[in-house]
Amino acid sequence: MASVYSVGQVNSYIKNMFTQDFMLTRISVKGEVSNCKYHSSGHIYFSLKDKDGVISCVMFKGNRRGLGFTMEEGQKVVVTGRIDVYERDGKYQLYATGVELDGIGDLYSKFEKKKQELEEMGMFADEYKKPIPKYALKVGIVTAKTGAAIQDIINISTRRNPFVQLVLYPSLVQGAMAAPDIVNGIRCLDSMDVDVIIVGRGGGSIEDLWAFNEEIVARAIFECETPVISAVGHETDVTIADYVADRRAPTPSAAAELAVFEYERYKSDIEDVCYTMHKTVERKIHLMRSMAETLRLRVEKLSPESVIRDRRIYLDELQNRLENLIYDKLDDRKHTMAIMTERLNGLSPLKRISGGYAYVSSNKGAVTDIDMLNKGDEISIYIKNGIAKANVVEISRNKTESL
Amino acid sequence: MAAEGRTIEKSFDELNEIIQKMDDDSLPLEDTFKLYEKGIKLVKQCNDRIDRVEKKLKVIENGRKIEDE
Repeated sequence: MASVYSVGQVNSYIKNMFTQDFMLTRISVKGEVSNCKYHSSGHIYFSLKDKDGVISCVMFKGNRRGLGFTMEEGQKVVVTGRIDVYERDGKYQLYATGVELDGIGDLYSKFEKKKQELEEMGMFADEYKKPIPKYALKVGIVTAKTGAAIQDIINISTRRNPFVQLVLYPSLVQGAMAAPDIVNGIRCLDSMDVDVIIVGRGGGSIEDLWAFNEEIVARAIFECETPVISAVGHETDVTIADYVADRRAPTPSAAAELAVFEYERYKSDIEDVCYTMHKTVERKIHLMRSMAETLRLRVEKLSPESVIRDRRIYLDELQNRLENLIYDKLDDRKHTMAIMTERLNGLSPLKRISGGYAYVSSNKGAVTDIDMLNKGDEISIYIKNGIAKANVVEISRNKTESL
Repeated sequence: MAAEGRTIEKSFDELNEIIQKMDDDSLPLEDTFKLYEKGIKLVKQCNDRIDRVEKKLKVIENGRKIEDE
């Protein structure tokens, strides 16, 4: 009897065969989704089936990034992953790392082809792009009546400027009827009195956004006379409408920011303008005033009155100089006099009187002869430091005439 | 397409031009005043154009009829 193996050994052996198979480690399988279960653990269990059979699949929580939509029963998908064995059940299954809707590949190539075609026609050219008005007062919107897109636009718009009129053309944005409806919306708003039109919708798969890749929509945007802002999906979603629009906004909110000017900002801009004009006029008046003042001073300087006043001042100066000269001279003389007086005083005989000598005078002058005096005459005796008055009591003449 | 939106932009351009002209010292004071008057009038027009009534969303029905939401 040949060797006997345990179940585990067999399953392990088979698992090993699978892992070593190059083709099974990375494979894409096409089929229809069935028995799809989103488990609370985050893993997704489903089966792929076609007319010939079924294969079980699992997508682990960690690989959910590879799935860009919600899987539903009956969807035709292409699942990429590896085929491996679940040893415990002795079952092989497809461990999915990516799931795409079948036909997507077609859509991508269709998109690229259409994009190239329209680009070659010049529909994306900058020269056709109309500027978005800075102060739009009426904003047309083509999008779904319900949904995040219109809510975002309303919120952003009313926050920025509640006085701007929003006009919504409620349109289908998904499905076969979406494209013609969007076209109608663009045309309808273009015929109305709006300053700018926002065309868009919220995020979704390439299939969801497909209407915005349709040529009729591209043409309607291109032919629209009113500037068009496209706002399709999220930042990363780019559609033909984005290329042909006058301006692409990454999201509907961003489109509202582009279309609706901020009222507060506008108000402060207007205030700035008024302030600048006021200041300019004020400055000019000030300038004129100072120029007038300068001229007034210059004219005044040349007036006869001013000339006369200047002469008068000059005359006063001359007078001052003259007087100063005179006073200087006078002072000079006075000084000389004082010096001379001093010198004269120095020569006075009284200065020489000392040591008991005195000088005697009567009403006839200096007494130089005894005969000039009579008994009873009043005489003055000049002594070094004073004068004494006296009367002559007795006169006695010297016997000899002279000493 | 509404003419008003463009006119506010134009008015701003014009206002900037006016300010630039006014700033020229060689411009006579009288002309400066005239420009100032014109500027203030433009500012008023700009403000008049934005009629400050809160506007609710208008929804187009059947391509024509318009109702307030």
